[in-house]
Amino acid sequence: MTTQDDARLREDRLVFYEADMEQLHTELDGFLELSKSRCAMLIDRDGHMVTRRGEAVESSSESISALIAGSFAATKEMARLLGEPEFAVMFHQGQRDSIQLQLVGERTLLAVVFDERTNLGLVRFYSQEATVRLGETFARIASEVRDSSLSDDFSSAGAAALDDLF
Amino acid sequence: MVQINFAQKQINAKVVYYGPGMSGKTTNLEVVHQRAPDNNRGELTSISTDGDRTLFFDYMPLDLGTIAGMKTCFQMYTVPGQVYYNSTRKLVLQGVDGVIFVADSGPDAMEANLESIRNLEENLNEYGKSLKTLPHVIQYNKRDLPGALPVDELDKALNTFGTTTFEGVAATGQGVFPTLKGLAALVLKHIQTECAGGSSRPGATNTTGFHPASQAQASGAGTVSAPPVGGAPTKSNLDLHPAATPAPAPAPTGAVAPQAQSGGTAPAAAAATQPSAARRAATAKAAPTKPAKASPSKLMQTQGNPAPAPSTRPAQRTRTTAPAPQIRRGQGGSGAKTAAFVVAAATVGAVIAHFVLSAL
Ligand SMILES: Nc1nc2c(ncn2[C@@H]2O[C@H](COP(=O)(O)OP(=O)(O)O)[C@@H](O)[C@H]2O)c(=O)[nH]1
Ligand SMILES: [Mg+2]
Repeated sequence: MTTQDDARLREDRLVFYEADMEQLHTELDGFLELSKSRCAMLIDRDGHMVTRRGEAVESSSESISALIAGSFAATKEMARLLGEPEFAVMFHQGQRDSIQLQLVGERTLLAVVFDERTNLGLVRFYSQEATVRLGETFARIASEVRDSSLSDDFSSAGAAALDDLF
Repeated sequence: MVQINFAQKQINAKVVYYGPGMSGKTTNLEVVHQRAPDNNRGELTSISTDGDRTLFFDYMPLDLGTIAGMKTCFQMYTVPGQVYYNSTRKLVLQGVDGVIFVADSGPDAMEANLESIRNLEENLNEYGKSLKTLPHVIQYNKRDLPGALPVDELDKALNTFGTTTFEGVAATGQGVFPTLKGLAALVLKHIQTECAGGSSRPGATNTTGFHPASQAQASGAGTVSAPPVGGAPTKSNLDLHPAATPAPAPAPTGAVAPQAQSGGTAPAAAAATQPSAARRAATAKAAPTKPAKASPSKLMQTQGNPAPAPSTRPAQRTRTTAPAPQIRRGQGGSGAKTAAFVVAAATVGAVIAHFVLSAL
C-alpha cells in the first residue's frame, strides 16, 4: 500500500478503538472534575459526535453536535473573510447554561457545557491544557493506518435492515 | 468522512440532499422524518428563514439499526439551494459520504438543475472528492408537475456518471424512501469496500482486546491493493431503477407511478399537506439555540459517568499545567536546580490560578 493510498484512506474514515476512547474519557473526566463543568463533548468537524462525558441532554446530543459543527464551520468562514486562520475558541452565553467551543487539533471540537457552578475563566483555563493532550491523542489516531474491516455481510445485512425499516 | 467506533460499535456516515432551490430537498427529509419508525429517527432541526427557506441546513439523525454488529447511523443534511448561499452549502458538504441529488422536473428548471450539479462537483472537488467516486443517486422530483421534463432528457443532462435514478413526488412522499434506500445501499457498500482495503500493516497498532477483523475476517483484509474506488456509480446500479424493480410493499414507500397525480387519491392528498405543517412544528427558525434552552427535566446522567465530585486530585492535575520547564530547559538553563525551581513555580502558579479563578 502506497503512502498516497494511506493518506486517501485516512481521509475517508476515522476509526476509534477501545483504547482511544478510554484515553479520551480519562482526559475528559479529569477536565470535568477540575473545571466543574456539566458536560464535555468531542465533536468531529463533519458533525459526528465522537464521545461525551458528564451530564447531558441525552435526547438531542446528535442534533447539538451537528449544530455545533455547523456554527463552528460558519465561524471559521467568518475568520477567513477577516484574514484570520480561524477563531480557536467560541463562547455562547445562556441564562443558565453556557457553551464554550474549542478547536482540538485539526478536525475536532471540544464543546463544554457549564452552568453557575463554575465560570468561564476556570473552564477556559482547564480546557486549554486538556485541548493540548486531546489534540495529541487525535493526532496519533489520525496518523495510524487502522484495521477497520467489517464483517463480510455488512452491506448485504444493511440492505436487509433497510428493507425492514422502510 | 465515515466514523467507525469499535469501542461503541457504531458507524456514522454523512448524507446530504443537494440540488437547486425549491427542488424538494427539505420536503424529502421531512417525509423521512414523518414516516421513519420512532426508534430510528432523531429530531428534525432546521436553520431556516421566516419564509421557510433553508438558510444553513436541515438536519436529522437516522438510525438504520444494528448492521452486522455495528449500530449504523446516517447523519442527514439538506443544503440551501439558492445560488448565493454557496459558502454555507460548501460547509455542509464537508466530510460527506453520500449525496442525493434532488432535481426539479419542472419545465423551466433545467438550467437550475445543471447549474446545481456543476456546483456540486466543484464544491466536492474542493474537498478532494468527485461524483465520479462518491456514492450518489439522483431523484427526479416533482414528476406531478404539468409539463414535467421527460426523464430521459433529464438523465442525459444530469446523470453524467450513470448512477441510479429515481422519480419522485416528494410532496406526497412518493419516491422518497426508494431514493434513500438506493443511496444507503451504495454508501454501505462503499464503506465495506473501503474498510476492507485498510489492512493493518506492520506498525499499525490495535492495542484493544477487540480486533475488528477477528470477528469476521473480511476477504479484503490484508490485501495490499488499493480498494476499488467508486463502488457507487456503475451501470449495474441501473438495475435498481424503480421501473425495473417490483414496487416495495408498504404503501408509503411505493415506487412512483410515472403518471402519479398529486392529490389523486385521498391518502396522497393528506400526505401532501403534512410536510409544511410539520416543518413549522419542528423548525427552530434561524435559531440554533436549542442547546442552551434545554429544560432541566431533560437532563440525564450519562450511564457510568456521574458528574464527578469536585474534590480529588487537583494537585496531580495542576502539575500538567506547567509547560514552562520544558521550554526553559530547552534554552540550556543552568541545570537541574533551575528546572526544579521552574516546575515548582509553575505548579504554585497553577494552583493559585485555580483558586483565583474559582473565587471569581
Ligand atoms: N408539485 C410538487 N411540489 C413539490 C414537490 N416536492 C416539493 N414540492 C414543493 O416545492 C416547494 C419547495 O420545497 P422544499 O422542500 O422547501 O425545497 P428545497 O428548497 O429543495 O428544500 C415546497 O412548496 C414543496 O411543497 C413535488 O414533488 N411536487
Ligand atoms: Mg430546503
